[in-house]
Amino acid sequence: MDIFTTFAISSSALKAQKIRLDTVSSNLANAETTSTPEGGPYKKKSVYFQSTPTSFDKHLDSALRGSAQGVAVTKIIEDPDPPRKVYNPSHPDAAEDGYVDMPNVDVLKEMVDMMSATRSYQANVTTIQSAKRMAQKALEIGR
Amino acid sequence: MTITPLPPAGANTALPINRIDGEAITASRNDFTAFLENSIDQVNQAMTRGDRSIEMLHSGQAQSLHEVMIAVEEADISLRMFVQIRNKALQAYEEIMRMQI
Repeated sequence: MDIFTTFAISSSALKAQKIRLDTVSSNLANAETTSTPEGGPYKKKSVYFQSTPTSFDKHLDSALRGSAQGVAVTKIIEDPDPPRKVYNPSHPDAAEDGYVDMPNVDVLKEMVDMMSATRSYQANVTTIQSAKRMAQKALEIGR
Repeated sequence: MTITPLPPAGANTALPINRIDGEAITASRNDFTAFLENSIDQVNQAMTRGDRSIEMLHSGQAQSLHEVMIAVEEADISLRMFVQIRNKALQAYEEIMRMQI
């Protein structure tokens, strides 16, 4: 049914923001991780959003009318910034000169990203509630 | 201007309705029944989807919480719409039953 299109689009956005929050939580959890299975310190991850049609018929519809699209996280990219150097000769991962490569995660930036993801999630939940209220109001016409 | 003659009383066929492009549509009695059956089926499917997603949430297989909530909301709105259709149909039936003959 057509009234559920808003639900499908907002649902995709909720999913995308959830993945964004997951990456933020991964970055914060590994803000001090100096060793990873790939070797070297942990690298900051960030999400890459891409607008997508929700399904084939929606794709056809949007091609015909240029209408609404959902969003999806198509890839998770690693920040290419160099690692932070911290002097700590007693650390097991310290280099010859006593410096340790720390992750390039900026905790402050991660907190801001987390708030942005939370607000975005809330905005999409409000959209769903709005669509729901509209449908309920439409049903009241028959009363 | 031509006048479409009325079918004889008691005949089961409905009046043909002429569409703008000239093609005649004969509304058969089954149309409303089919619509009703179809919408009952859709509402039932929505409710089954909602139930199944709640089951999956409880058994830990659900992908995400919001998808479960959205499935439940869809079922809720579908059911509300169906109840409205039922109310309207009943109202029409009662209106006819109250008719003085």
